[in-house]
Amino acid sequence: MARQKPQAPPFTSLQSRTLILDNGADTIKAGFSSHLDQDTKSSADACHIIPNSISHSTRDRRTYVASQLRSCLDFGELAFRHPVENGYIVNWESQKAIWEYEFFDDGAKARGLWCEPRETNLILTEQSSAPIAVQRQADEMAIEEFGFGGYARVVGAIGNAYADSAFGNGEGEAGVPAECLLVIDAGYSHTTVTPLLHGRVLQSACRRLDIGGKTLTNQLKDLISTRQFELQKEDWMANQIKQDVCYVSQDFDVDLERVWKGGMTDRRRIDHSIVVDYVLPDYEEIKRGFARPHDPSSAARKRQLGIGMPREDLVVIANERFSVPELLFTPSDIGMQSEGLVGTILQSLNALPVGLWQAFLANVLVVGGTSKLPGFVERLEGDLRSRLSDDIVLRIAHAENPITHAWTGGQRLAHNETALKQIIVTREEYLENGDGWMRRKFLGKTGG
Amino acid sequence: MALRFRTPHIEELPIAQTKQAPGFAWVTVPSAVEKPTADLTNKKRGTRFAAQGQTDEQREAHSVRQQEKINVHIRELNSDNARAGSVIVPKKEDGSAAGRGKTTNTRKILSSMKHFSHYLDDEIAEFGLTGKVDGMDRLTETGLVPAMPMMSTAQRASKTPLVRRVQQEHSNGGSPRPATPIGAPATASQVDDQDDGLDGTAPFPSQADIDALLNAPPLLYNASRSAPPPTSAPPARVFCEICGHWGRVRCLKCGARTCSVDCKTIHVADRCLKFYA
Repeated sequence: MARQKPQAPPFTSLQSRTLILDNGADTIKAGFSSHLDQDTKSSADACHIIPNSISHSTRDRRTYVASQLRSCLDFGELAFRHPVENGYIVNWESQKAIWEYEFFDDGAKARGLWCEPRETNLILTEQSSAPIAVQRQADEMAIEEFGFGGYARVVGAIGNAYADSAFGNGEGEAGVPAECLLVIDAGYSHTTVTPLLHGRVLQSACRRLDIGGKTLTNQLKDLISTRQFELQKEDWMANQIKQDVCYVSQDFDVDLERVWKGGMTDRRRIDHSIVVDYVLPDYEEIKRGFARPHDPSSAARKRQLGIGMPREDLVVIANERFSVPELLFTPSDIGMQSEGLVGTILQSLNALPVGLWQAFLANVLVVGGTSKLPGFVERLEGDLRSRLSDDIVLRIAHAENPITHAWTGGQRLAHNETALKQIIVTREEYLENGDGWMRRKFLGKTGG
Repeated sequence: MALRFRTPHIEELPIAQTKQAPGFAWVTVPSAVEKPTADLTNKKRGTRFAAQGQTDEQREAHSVRQQEKINVHIRELNSDNARAGSVIVPKKEDGSAAGRGKTTNTRKILSSMKHFSHYLDDEIAEFGLTGKVDGMDRLTETGLVPAMPMMSTAQRASKTPLVRRVQQEHSNGGSPRPATPIGAPATASQVDDQDDGLDGTAPFPSQADIDALLNAPPLLYNASRSAPPPTSAPPARVFCEICGHWGRVRCLKCGARTCSVDCKTIHVADRCLKFYA
């Protein structure tokens, strides 16, 4: 597509539309915003959630790129390729294919996400502590390959500071960040704790726990595969099982006792309110797996599988329901040498001056897909509360939509021309000053 | 069906609580209170795992080799590219050169097959050689930006087995306050267990401090990882291999944990690695 404009574009002026890409490992949250909008309210409706993967099914030899996955009917043995690893885009071949399909190809017009890169600003998110090579690549791809008219690479957590306050403080002015915010992002690859001061990251206090939604899904896959049913190739199915039945226990020891069958001399009665029968989908008769309360007599029904009744693959899930999410709070359960989420938060605080601790602990925000596990925020609050002295005020908010919250912040930021000018580097500025200058500006090193 | 050998050689071990049953030994679930037990140095066969001392559960479970196995397992849990090789990125039909990248740099980027671990290793190497990344400073775990390159702590920051980091100063993940710390707790080395260094009257840090915090360079990737729990924390919990309950029974032959004799029977039948004694 010819992109040469006949006249030189005006010097350092912002493009009228901004594409905000919260480029996560599991999903991309994408949508447009414009500083020319009269209406500066954030609108989560403008945010599209796009699976950030290319998947291939060996069974019907079909490949699904990004949102094509929604049209998939047979998720069996679906192999996934994720361009984003640990929060950073490392596989640009697939990421480019996904972006092109979603934003630049003609087919994207029907979905409302089409844009002409030269006339659009791009706000792209990354994780903190990114290796320089990864940042360099992202910058080059955005400007040289796709040719965006303006570009900003920000740490993803920053979006949360600009979103509507989840503490019920009402809507602030667009583009004005919250003063103090401790963002806990329970994401796909890992869980990060990021303190933000006036919307800027306090780098020295960022901490990361290498347990995320991916870890939990793989752990669940392992447990079910070794105990009952081979699921090693079924990423999608295991993910759905996790979302359907897993929850965070408020009292792990008690719950574990409740579902123990007992020892030889010490028979126990299993509490069947926790145990669940999960019917696995076979994508022919049963399109979607579902859970139902455990039926103890199903031991008899199992023998009838295939006889008389329609076949169903049944998995009995008991302590896996809460022992898998427990990894977030006790990673040592699988031998990982890290403190749990609460310990990680305290480590982050310890890296800050004491005078700031109260300010941050009164403004804790939980976002991220994994935080949607039932009981997550309650458990976090309870554990954190017990580690703090009583005169500290602890206020934890769970974003209403934990997945799109950061994106809505980016949208509000892009509504404000001044704020936008501060972070966006236009194509002309880049060509004049070079990539090193741009990287330093994104770090906040150069003025302006 | 696994071959069944005769009942394994039964040893009477001088442990405090022993049941008269072959092939397993009750071990105390590690508690915070350490109970004194006799020094058990029985060197006979089969006692390799049994009697290294009830009070040293941690040491036994976290020997370096076993920790490596655990680390490999964790890396597997955290990987999602196992079958990504079978996914081929669809090429565009028009087959134009635009698909391959517009500039030499982008072409290189698009055809690179590197994974994140490669970039991480490169960055660690660059930091170890020059003490800077991209011409700018970075923070390490100890918070110091090494003035001299080749400083061993910085270089080995990622290679040090995590077990050893327990001994190091870790609870605050570094004290990266370039300016003199104001309002920093005097007990900066205190462990996170009881955060009572907080009172409502702690002074808000000065503007200079705030600026220093805001302008601090980013941490290295490994430095921002959550540190291991302090040594005073309760030891790691162990679970039954078969059913997932607490792992109170240890198989004498291979050291695996199960919750009861029932599960141990299943373990010996199907999963014990040492069925050839």
